[in-house]
Amino acid sequence: MAEGIALQTILQQLLVGLSRTTILFIVASGMSLVLGVLRIPNLAHGSFYMIGAFLAYSVSAAIGSTMGFWTAVLVAPIGVALLSFAIERGLFRHLYDREHLMLLLFTFSFTLVFSDLVKLIWGSDYRSMPVPEVFQGSILVMGLTLPLYNAFLLAVGPIVAIGLWLLTQKTKIGKIARAAAVDREMVDAIGINVQMIYSVVFVIGCFLAGLGGALVAPTQNITQGMDHGIIMETFLIVIVGGLGNIWGALTGALVFGLSHAVGIMVFPQFAIVIPYLAVVVILMFRPRGLLKSIW
Amino acid sequence: MLHVENLQKSFDGFMAVCDAHLVVSKGDIVAVIGPNGAGKTTLFNLITGQIRPDRGRVLFKGEEITGLAPYRICERGICRSFQIVNIFPRLSVFENVQVAVLAHQKRALDLMKPARNQGKTETERILAGFDLLDQKDRKAGTLSHGDQKVLEMAIALGNEPDLLILDEPTAGMSPEETAHCLALMKRLSAETGVTILFCEHDMEMVFAVSTSIMVMQQGKTIIQDTPQAVRASREVQEAYLGECPNAA
Amino acid sequence: MEPSSRHLSPSLLTPIVILLILACMPLVGSRFFIYLVSGILVTGLLATSLNLVLGFGGMYQFHHAVFYGTGAYCTALLLTKTSLPAWVAFVSAPIGAALLGLVIGAICVRLSKLYFGMLQISLGSLVWAIVYRWYSFTGGDDGIHGIPLPSWISGGKPAYYAVLLTVAVCFFLLHRIVESPFGRIFQAIRDNPVRCEAVGIPVQRHQLIGQVLAAAFAGVAGALFVVVEGSVFPDMLFWTLSLEILIMCLLGGWFRFWGPMVGAAIIVCLRTYVGSYTEYWTLILGVFLMLIIFFLPDGVLGLAERLTRRNATASST
Repeated sequence: MAEGIALQTILQQLLVGLSRTTILFIVASGMSLVLGVLRIPNLAHGSFYMIGAFLAYSVSAAIGSTMGFWTAVLVAPIGVALLSFAIERGLFRHLYDREHLMLLLFTFSFTLVFSDLVKLIWGSDYRSMPVPEVFQGSILVMGLTLPLYNAFLLAVGPIVAIGLWLLTQKTKIGKIARAAAVDREMVDAIGINVQMIYSVVFVIGCFLAGLGGALVAPTQNITQGMDHGIIMETFLIVIVGGLGNIWGALTGALVFGLSHAVGIMVFPQFAIVIPYLAVVVILMFRPRGLLKSIW
Repeated sequence: MLHVENLQKSFDGFMAVCDAHLVVSKGDIVAVIGPNGAGKTTLFNLITGQIRPDRGRVLFKGEEITGLAPYRICERGICRSFQIVNIFPRLSVFENVQVAVLAHQKRALDLMKPARNQGKTETERILAGFDLLDQKDRKAGTLSHGDQKVLEMAIALGNEPDLLILDEPTAGMSPEETAHCLALMKRLSAETGVTILFCEHDMEMVFAVSTSIMVMQQGKTIIQDTPQAVRASREVQEAYLGECPNAA
Repeated sequence: MEPSSRHLSPSLLTPIVILLILACMPLVGSRFFIYLVSGILVTGLLATSLNLVLGFGGMYQFHHAVFYGTGAYCTALLLTKTSLPAWVAFVSAPIGAALLGLVIGAICVRLSKLYFGMLQISLGSLVWAIVYRWYSFTGGDDGIHGIPLPSWISGGKPAYYAVLLTVAVCFFLLHRIVESPFGRIFQAIRDNPVRCEAVGIPVQRHQLIGQVLAAAFAGVAGALFVVVEGSVFPDMLFWTLSLEILIMCLLGGWFRFWGPMVGAAIIVCLRTYVGSYTEYWTLILGVFLMLIIFFLPDGVLGLAERLTRRNATASST
């Protein structure tokens, strides 16, 4: 009997862990896109995530309750996308010919700037956003109680995944983007505006970061350190999954999310160490990630 | 000295080299010729370890070197130059050759002595032999293309190899530079006794300097023989020389 | 590489003169100033150790700070948890850091460029996560404070001299390494690893040795931090510090030996002075970094070199 209850708790924890995986996947897929096509490891990705969360908080606080939530989930990522568009057009595009290291440091400069900008605009205290009324309460899934909001997240994950897959595999832009990832000069030579492709991909990537931030906002405290926390996790997920690969981002997010959930149950003090350890072990045997990378 | 037997390599289903044979004897100057895409550079990469063959063997001085790492093959006495100029652009001309000399003298792990004066005599001797001594302090990236190709060769000599492999040494060179390169190769062979294996498109040069010629087409060795025999061979004429106005 | 004429007297004289000035400084400098310069020296050593593998080795060293933090924690833990003599604790820093450098290096060196850097970040983050969470042993996110130091190096002036002496010796060694055959070949590997293999150099072995050396010197910097501050923090192992050191190398000029030191001095001074006026130093650093990347990719020393060269040609015409 005791084992039955323990199993139930485990499965419950795993389900909650899976819903967190959705957030990780959405954010990681955004970074994977940018990394795969533009070959920039965008350290500011975490900052966009954080800005998305803060924006969602503000919009939701202004409008209130469920309507506020849906508006926030729409407006926050779009706001982040616009910001990223401005940055890419104004600044990044002049640096594409530089070495990776320079680009990496340049994205880091945005991490620095955004972190203080958030402090300037929203202050140094953390915020919290209530779970919207429509998602309060829980449902029973196969005899396990799952908070409604987590169930919502679990549903959103596959939707985003399929949407991205369709975008990259089936649309013209997606195919051109993939070609540009492998051979930029060639795509340039056949007359396609590579700059525009880069812009589109970058904006979509950052939109996803903002979306992740908006979706995570009701589940945890919105803090000024969110960017630092998420960026390393995202980095590791993307490496473990395979650079530039959407399904790789999903695999990596699963590895990370589930090992974290297991860690909380088994070794609570070192819960955050478990995912890092899992990633390291995988990378020692498959240094290029579990799935094929784009390049 | 060098025996290549039944070498085979394919890339993603494309058979780059499918049945290559080659024999290089000590003191020879052997040329590998063939139309573009015949697999000459792939063959060289297989010999010097940049890629591993699917099948076949490479024997050097009686020992098998198939699939060894490039630096080990270099230690055994084979050095090569590359088709596309492959020097150290940020280092000076002197330092370019010095790197090879230091590696050969097993000083690569010396952490404390200043490198400025090490291997100086050998490096300067090699540079003098290639008429590069007066440019020794220039950044290698600023040399003319022809001089860079000559530097390519000079670097390969830093290891005092028994076998020198040159991948299209005169590609992109003017007629004067080509003649200069030719004279260099003849002098190298005569003075130092180094065995030379090279591949080329310039037929005049090939027939002027080689002691033995191997003809490749579509990854296969068609024939290896003396220049006269190759010139006279029907198979070669059909496969390759027949299209080239220079032959005959 | 600059031609050998640069290694004549002028280039040797300047460091010696600066060293003498620094040695005499505590006689006239305030406590605060001594503390500031101590910090600059330690950070400069750390940045230069990074540049060994970054600027001279061409490796994408994205998480160098983990070796610094490891060295510092080795010293701190031995001083606080054991009664071993102090010199053992200090020597343990480069040894511990070098060992970690060997392990992480052996795993990462198989890969190149971006993969190398990202794998290093993963491994380094694992080390950070362990230190951060192991409250009972490492003090967790509080760190370790009030580390007992032997009296002959505790306090502003003695600590300063200990740091100055150690940093001077380390710079001497680092300079020798860069100018040695190993250093020459290391730079050749940066420029063309394929050619190096073809010339008989086991490239990965050399890169691994470079990693271990750089880690060891970073570990020394960590031990010196303990001497100056008397505490350690898990932030010393965090990736943001790694990137800050990268910025210092970029700012000073990463193809030049003294570049990272110049960069460290600028950043530490800026942080101290700007930080006293505003709490938004991070924002200013970010903007500063953007400007450097756009307008000064060669770093401060690169700019200085271009200016002196232009003056030289102008005066000779």
